[in-house]
Amino acid sequence: MDALVAEDVGRRYGDTVALDGVSLQVAAGDVFALVGPNGAGKTTLVRALTGTTDATGSISVLGEPPRAVDRERLGLLPQDFTPPERLTARELLTFYAGLYDDARDPTALMATVGLDETAADTYYENLSGGQQRRTCVGAALVNDPEVLFLDEPTTGIDPAGRRALWDVLEDLADAGTTIFLTTHDMAEAERLADRVGLLADGDLLAVDTPAALVQEYGGEQVLRVGTDATEVPPLDYEADLVDGTLTVRNVPPTAIGEVVADLETAGVAYDELTWTEPDLEDVYLALAGTDGEAAASGPPVTGTQSSVVAGEGGGNA
Amino acid sequence: MTRARRIRATAVAGWHSFLRRRTAVFFTFLFPALIVLIFGALVETSGTGGGLFAEPPSWYVAGYLGVVVLFTPLSRLGAEVARTRDGNRFEKLATTPLTRAEWLVAQLLVNVVVIGLAAILVLGLLVALTGAQIALGPATLLVVPFVVLGVALFCGVGAILGSLADSQDGAVAASNTIAIPLLFLSEAFVPLSMLPDWLPTWLSPLTYFSRGVRAVTYDGGSGTALATWNAPDPWVNLAVLAVAAVLFLAIGARTLPVTD
Repeated sequence: MDALVAEDVGRRYGDTVALDGVSLQVAAGDVFALVGPNGAGKTTLVRALTGTTDATGSISVLGEPPRAVDRERLGLLPQDFTPPERLTARELLTFYAGLYDDARDPTALMATVGLDETAADTYYENLSGGQQRRTCVGAALVNDPEVLFLDEPTTGIDPAGRRALWDVLEDLADAGTTIFLTTHDMAEAERLADRVGLLADGDLLAVDTPAALVQEYGGEQVLRVGTDATEVPPLDYEADLVDGTLTVRNVPPTAIGEVVADLETAGVAYDELTWTEPDLEDVYLALAGTDGEAAASGPPVTGTQSSVVAGEGGGNA
Repeated sequence: MTRARRIRATAVAGWHSFLRRRTAVFFTFLFPALIVLIFGALVETSGTGGGLFAEPPSWYVAGYLGVVVLFTPLSRLGAEVARTRDGNRFEKLATTPLTRAEWLVAQLLVNVVVIGLAAILVLGLLVALTGAQIALGPATLLVVPFVVLGVALFCGVGAILGSLADSQDGAVAASNTIAIPLLFLSEAFVPLSMLPDWLPTWLSPLTYFSRGVRAVTYDGGSGTALATWNAPDPWVNLAVLAVAAVLFLAIGARTLPVTD
């Protein structure tokens, strides 16, 4: 069953198109990560899905229009969220718990999000960035929501804090919470998400599992060899030589030894070997472009549970 | 019951937030005290001379109470709405069971307590510093609903200003721009006889606060003219104030933003 369904969702602000016919589905219990450049429309889509902004098209959250869904079943951490700053973390969670009929115990929740007793009784404005984000995530979890929306939940916190929050979110996902998050952090999307959608200029350019996106759009596995060779030696793989670096393309990790043996057979000396494989960041750059402008020239795509239908000229590198 | 729980949780959070902004607390109470000190004690009101403060000191009790009932909720609500919007808190609250009306009622409760305390301070200073003799009678208790309804009314107006302004600064500036003319054109400090006949003071909701509070606190110097429970004046003014309060609270709740 799909917890979220968006069909042909559009939103304009004057002449600016924030969302241009976005369609996607998120299965119950899945983690969906929405990535894209600044101004791509990620926050607008979150707002459309939560019913905090008007949008054209059709949206269903837990089987109902966003504004008709029982608020007890939803959780939201808005982008740039700042709660009352002179309340302690404990008071903030107690406040938000007081808004629900069936809320989690704030003290237990603080432990869940990794806030110790000292942090719990510290004013929000005096908490570290990581502790502040944990408090905000706690505020979004206080009603134990079935669907959780997180708009850039780890922006501005250090790597350790980010990883701690990832652990919290993974536990939630394991417990069956449907999570829809936006992020600029490709590692975050790759680690947490069952499926990733890439939004640029209001268009959803691709939706699929991280592995499928990387395979489809990420480009090649590359072996780079620092060498004194003056010409490309005979190899079983496509290669080129530029400024003393031999680039061998589409080499699987299991074939690195074979390439090295071929180099030695050809009498090519080398002093450095670097193998890289594409990741979501490559997908992002391929589809959204390096300057934030969408590289894809064709129409947006429609994501489904198991596949992605690429638009013509879908930006494949 | 759950509605009451939500309002209570919001009001408690709002109360704690206010108490911990010490500058805000200090100036919330200093401002009306300064007004009393400047106009009541330094300028001095006198029934014997002419000019702006020509009435007996107790005539101005309604005016000084009007200062706290008018300025504080206008600026506090305006700034609070802008602050809440800037922190994307309204967006968060829109996905909780708390309604905008409940949020506004919670803010109203906080303001009733704050302004109630400020009103007691003002009354004390008026008696101590200006010699104002507040006429007491059973109907004097109506000051309480007048203050509550006045606070409600201007909380509603403040919410509207905060929703329309694009910043906290803008909300406070707008509230001052509205409050100062109202203060002088609503029979709070300037008697109707000193204002042009064509001026529609009846349009100002503060006029009904001034008239009503004056009817139950000022005896005209005779010691016998204080309105009684059965007199129509305070009740009519209270009714008009109540209608205006409900109207502006409803509009204020309706205009509260959801996102920035």
